[in-house]
Amino acid sequence: MWLWFSKLGSPKWFYELSGKWLPWLIATMILFLVIGATWALLYVPQDYQQGLTNRIMYVHVPVASLSLSFFPLMAVAGTITLVWKMKLADMVVKVAAPLGAWFTALALASGSIWGVDTWGTWWIWDGRLTSLLLQLFLLLGIISLRSALEDSDAAARACALLSIVGCINVVVIKYSVDWWNTLHQPGTTFGMSSDQPNGPEFWIPLLIMGIAVALFFTVSLILATRNEILERERRSQWVQELVQE
Amino acid sequence: MTPATVDTPGQDIGTDASQSLTSAVMLDGTDLFCERDDRILFEQLNFTVSEGQVLQIKGSNGSGKTTLLHILCGLNDSYQGSIRWYGQAIETQAEEFYGALLYIGHRVGVNKVLTPLENLRWTCSLQQQVSDTELYRALAEVGLRGFEESQCFTLSAGQQQRASLARLLISDARLWVLDEPFTTLDAGGLSLLEGLLRSHADAGGAVIVTTHHDLRVADLQQMTLG
Amino acid sequence: MNKQRTSTGQAFWATLQRDLLIAYKRKNDMANPFMFFLIVASLFPIGISPDPERLAEIAAGVLWISALLASLLAMDNLYRADYEDGSLEQLLLSPHPLYFLVLAKNIAHWLVSGLPVVLVSPLIAYMLNLPSESYMILFVTLLLGTPVFSLLGSIGVALTVGLGSRGLILAVITLPMSVPVLIAGTLAIEQTSNGASLSGFLAILGAMLLASISVAPLASGAALRISVN
Repeated sequence: MWLWFSKLGSPKWFYELSGKWLPWLIATMILFLVIGATWALLYVPQDYQQGLTNRIMYVHVPVASLSLSFFPLMAVAGTITLVWKMKLADMVVKVAAPLGAWFTALALASGSIWGVDTWGTWWIWDGRLTSLLLQLFLLLGIISLRSALEDSDAAARACALLSIVGCINVVVIKYSVDWWNTLHQPGTTFGMSSDQPNGPEFWIPLLIMGIAVALFFTVSLILATRNEILERERRSQWVQELVQE
Repeated sequence: MTPATVDTPGQDIGTDASQSLTSAVMLDGTDLFCERDDRILFEQLNFTVSEGQVLQIKGSNGSGKTTLLHILCGLNDSYQGSIRWYGQAIETQAEEFYGALLYIGHRVGVNKVLTPLENLRWTCSLQQQVSDTELYRALAEVGLRGFEESQCFTLSAGQQQRASLARLLISDARLWVLDEPFTTLDAGGLSLLEGLLRSHADAGGAVIVTTHHDLRVADLQQMTLG
Repeated sequence: MNKQRTSTGQAFWATLQRDLLIAYKRKNDMANPFMFFLIVASLFPIGISPDPERLAEIAAGVLWISALLASLLAMDNLYRADYEDGSLEQLLLSPHPLYFLVLAKNIAHWLVSGLPVVLVSPLIAYMLNLPSESYMILFVTLLLGTPVFSLLGSIGVALTVGLGSRGLILAVITLPMSVPVLIAGTLAIEQTSNGASLSGFLAILGAMLLASISVAPLASGAALRISVN
């Protein structure tokens, strides 16, 4: 067990293994993306209330739900960094923060495009959008802390700690914002889920798009981590050999 | 790639070898390795400090002296290797170790707006109970009589250093770790501190000190980094 | 020569007293956040409207946000002097649990920066035309909420204490974390004026305070170790 664990922490091992997986992951991702997008954009019947705009749901929902997984991911990787000082875990914390910020920003953007038609405005202080916005701020805080700390070891631990604290906080923020939102605007919110169509012809493409976006997330994370590995291990022999080839 | 060298000055081996053999090893480090920002500060570094011994660490600027002291005190844990307190890992007996450790860093831990008396009272009370008479006596002994109630920003660097060194008189810590304690001291301060180191070692305590000053103490070990 | 060790309680008191003493000797520095609170709160009527009815509507939010910003401004000198003069190393090398020493510093800091803001808040509330029945609620909720700002801010300061320019990073880290308290505090005032019962809000704020007292000093301590490392 321990051996397996320390092997998993070795950047070289991860680099080689992920190199073998990547083509398969990318191929599956493209397959799901093509099927899901074609189905969602061309064959799903139009929503009688929202018309064509509703189709942004097939981007927004998967992206928004995935962007909620960044803090748990970073908190777990951060704990591993702090407890076992595993370098690979720190790399994950490092690359996940900007990636998470992009996902969150994309979720916010797609949400507000959807909002234009549903609410008639680009922005509304809807509970979900508000907590996503706060999550984006927290992620930006982690990114700027990382870039401000010069010593890489200190940066790794500081960001790991902040990820753990941030993860707890995101949960509290989520609940308190929902609470705030329901008390402030009783009945005035058009919930994004409440009037959603739920026949199988709607949710099957949504599921496929969900898997496609999850694969996209995995592939981006792996690619970014591989990049980070090369950068950090640039002096080591195996990277030098790799560059020679 | 800089192996550290440990050498014991010749005159000490003859006179104190028997004493060194009988006294217990207080702190020892084995195979210490530390790198900072892709640069190896030291590797395969070994040392032992026994009761009654003074370990002097020398090295050029940036050779990792302060880092080494931080590692020994547990302020820095980015290293590999093991450090043991009386033969056991420090984590298993942290409270005893920190109760027996007195560290004065490069930044001496003297708050500028407080007086030497107030500073000394706080730093001492983190470890042990102390009475005002003791505090006044210690400050008088390090040459700060009359300055006990002046705020530290009115004092010179040397006087602030002396205020921090007053802890050495009060504390019953067995291991002193001092980072460049001589830098701002005048001639009087030098001999005062040297006297303190000597009497601490004679009483069975141990000292780890970074300095380029030639120490005149009985059981001296030297180690050069870089 | 064998002297009595201090108990953790004694070390806690010594640290609390020391920090209060430092604050007392630097009265001018300590007055700044307080002045900041007064000034920011009085900018809102100028910027929004002097109309008493509109002011009454925003008063609770203005007071809470001003208190939050004042607490953020005050945070910077929590560990900085100790970091620069080496006292922080002494704190970390104490044989006592770091949790209690950090807690002592946080309490001292709140007493000199948070408490004055709470005490003066009814005055500002009057100037902002907050309904008089909300004064007590404002006071109590601020009393429970501002320590949470200090405790959470302490984590951010501890993480950034070694940085040259940390003002903005500190704000980006701390402000989003303080949102739940802000929500609970302002909702308490607003909802009770609509007839809701206060006890639920006090319970939530109390729970936030208890949770941050028990967890935040641990995180601050860990962050201080990282910063000194």
